[in-house]
Amino acid sequence: MINYRSNITPTFCPGCHNFLVYAAMQSAFNALNLKTSDLVINFDIGCVGNMADFFKTYAVHTLHGRSITTAMGEKLANPNLTVCAIGGDGGIYGEGLNHLIAAARANIDITVFVSNNFLYSLTTGQTSPTTPKGARTKSTPLGNVSEPLNIVKVLKSVNSNIFVKSVDAKDIQEVTKNFKEALEFKGFSIVETRQECVAFGKQLKA
Amino acid sequence: MTPNFSTIKIAGPAGSGIKSAGQIFSKILIDHGFNLVDYSEYPSLVRGGHNTYQITFSNEKVFATHFNVDLFFSVYPNHWQSHQSEFTKSTLVFSEEDFSNIKSKATFINLPLKEMADQVGSPLVINTLCLGVATYLYDLDVQKAKDLICEAYQKYCEINLNAFNIAYSYAEKNFSKFQIKIKKPKKIVKMGFNEGNEASGWGFIKGGGSFYAAYPMTPATGILHFLANKQTEFKLTVVHPEDEIAAANMAAGAAFTGARSATGTSGGGFALMNEAVSFCGIAEIGMVYYLVSRPGPATGLPTWTSQGDLLHAIYSGHGEFPKVVLAPGDVDESFELSHTALDLAAQLQTPILVVSDKLIGESSSSTKYFPDIEVKINKGKIVNEIKGDDFKRYAFTKDGISPVSFPGTPGGEFLCNSYEHNEFGFSTEDAVLSEKMFQKRMLKTKTALKICPKANFFGSKKAKKLIIGWGSPKGAILEALKLMDNKEDFAFLQLKTLWPINPEIQTIINAFKETIVIENNGTNQLVTVLKSQFDFNPTTIINKNDGRPFFPEEIIDLLTAKK
Ligand SMILES: Cc1ncc(C[n+]2csc(CCOP(=O)(O)OP(=O)(O)O)c2C)c(N)n1
Ligand code: SF4
Ligand SMILES: [Mg+2]
Repeated sequence: MINYRSNITPTFCPGCHNFLVYAAMQSAFNALNLKTSDLVINFDIGCVGNMADFFKTYAVHTLHGRSITTAMGEKLANPNLTVCAIGGDGGIYGEGLNHLIAAARANIDITVFVSNNFLYSLTTGQTSPTTPKGARTKSTPLGNVSEPLNIVKVLKSVNSNIFVKSVDAKDIQEVTKNFKEALEFKGFSIVETRQECVAFGKQLKA
Repeated sequence: MTPNFSTIKIAGPAGSGIKSAGQIFSKILIDHGFNLVDYSEYPSLVRGGHNTYQITFSNEKVFATHFNVDLFFSVYPNHWQSHQSEFTKSTLVFSEEDFSNIKSKATFINLPLKEMADQVGSPLVINTLCLGVATYLYDLDVQKAKDLICEAYQKYCEINLNAFNIAYSYAEKNFSKFQIKIKKPKKIVKMGFNEGNEASGWGFIKGGGSFYAAYPMTPATGILHFLANKQTEFKLTVVHPEDEIAAANMAAGAAFTGARSATGTSGGGFALMNEAVSFCGIAEIGMVYYLVSRPGPATGLPTWTSQGDLLHAIYSGHGEFPKVVLAPGDVDESFELSHTALDLAAQLQTPILVVSDKLIGESSSSTKYFPDIEVKINKGKIVNEIKGDDFKRYAFTKDGISPVSFPGTPGGEFLCNSYEHNEFGFSTEDAVLSEKMFQKRMLKTKTALKICPKANFFGSKKAKKLIIGWGSPKGAILEALKLMDNKEDFAFLQLKTLWPINPEIQTIINAFKETIVIENNGTNQLVTVLKSQFDFNPTTIINKNDGRPFFPEEIIDLLTAKK
């Protein structure tokens, strides 16, 4: 087993689904025998982005929303690298949506993992692009007025040649399998893991 | 005495070939060995309006185009109207108009462009007709002119040669008394003909640049076009992404993998890139930002010139981190500072900004022949072999620069971090470590002072007055000093590194009792910068902020008016 982990103990809340994503990423990398020196992971800003400290590969903790663009620059400059990006629904679908659409259109050979917990969690639970309509969150106490984004639908209409999946984070086998397939896919791939934020997710159920 | 310089200007609506005629005529002049500087004005539209192209040329070095025009072509009637202040008693104005009742110190001559164009069979050749007349009036080599016209028009060569011949013969028959005398160059040296943006592109290529990402924005787009065209020949990766934010962050990603990388834009796009500048600062990513200014705020005057972004550049990016701001003063310096910037990015691992403007970026001049220049490249501190697994990417060092590893190098794995971090790159919020890391990065400012380009000093240290400037007004200032009777009274200090400010600048300035700062902006931004560094009280401040550049004649007036 190749070691992808740093010595730093993960700081997610106990029970956070990002632990599963963290484990699945390592399994998928290992299954493909990816060397830590030929792998670049770009972490967005958010709870999930904080995973940056728990890996020991070539990596960039990018700006919020820019994990995909940074990854694209790397892949274009050095196509020999395996390049992936990971972020939340806020970073990838909100601040960085323009970049996601552009990457899908370009069908660039990078892999994006999205921890979709339907909220901005690191900033303590505001509405995100995937928050259900009507949900009362810290930033929408009167109810969210917007329709939630269905990224699979959107991206399939942008480019039918890409790999796009949405899976339940709790189904770790399915997650790992899809991460592996996405990494193997020649072209743009994205796997969304649907998650529950144990700290702020209760708002969405009210 | 035969004069040793002349200025020709051609004007007409957008789409009438004003720029191509101007550029072809420039190439003809360069083929004769003339030095020249061009300047063009155009509105932000594709058809109609009023475009101009002017060339000041000489057998000696020329630094800027002159305001006063010797030969003026209006390709359609009335395009001379708004230029009367540029005419002198020796100006010849050609246009297809009845000039019998005109009152002006200049000489107006009716040129039957429509009739000649009908003879050729196309209204599109009016610009080439003017070239024919100009070639005759300056008594230039007809074969050279024809060769360059063919080179420019390719499959439309014949029709344009036909136009050239008709106009040349017409001029020979009717305009012999208007021929303009000018000293011809004695020898012909190999020169280039480039815009500042092309020169920046050549500097990028010769400096080992390999990745360029940019979103179009006038007047910086020329760099993108130039490099996009050269990508196959020089194995470059050139990308036009979805916005400036993507352009800058992509270029940063590319730089992280070891590419010599850059982006380019004007003020509005640079505003969007500010987050990336800051990111490069903390993550210690060395990359170049070309900022080719136009007047703001916001969309401002898209196709005009301004030096209004100096403070924006110096203070770009939130937070505190080292950066370098360079400013070329002409097209040749755009080449030089472009490859220098790539070296500095590699050496200092921090954002390097190259600030120019529309005047430099989009004005052509005779230059060094860039394709023949070989540049020695400095790659900075790179580690290619690492033992063990405790590589400290952000190791504390005396000069603030830590050796960098690039992906693909086993053992060099690290986290390139936008958060404050420890020597390995992992995030930290420790008070002592945060301060220490900040201080480590700031050491690079000291290192920068040692390796950044020194200022240019023109004239004598014993002159009475010191002119201080940066960027594009260099041309008009040097041209003014060339023409002035009392030129010995003035010295000129041109700053090439605008940040950090070298303490030597203070020493030079303090040696003069009288100082004059000249800037093409509205709020004397260089004065603000210098005041922030030392006790500085310029005697005179000269500004211009109407989108137009300084002209040498104007500088002469201003310098002689202010005693
Ligand atoms: C430019 C910018 N804007 C805002 C922030 C603050 N911020 C940090 S994380 C975040 C949202 C995180 O939400 P998401 O991407 O869904 O990640 P999660 O925390 O839910 O995993 C925001 C708005 C920032 N860091 N940078
Ligand atoms: S706040 Fe939510 S998303 Fe963030 S670590 Fe805790 S459970 Fe996970
Ligand atoms: Mg989220």
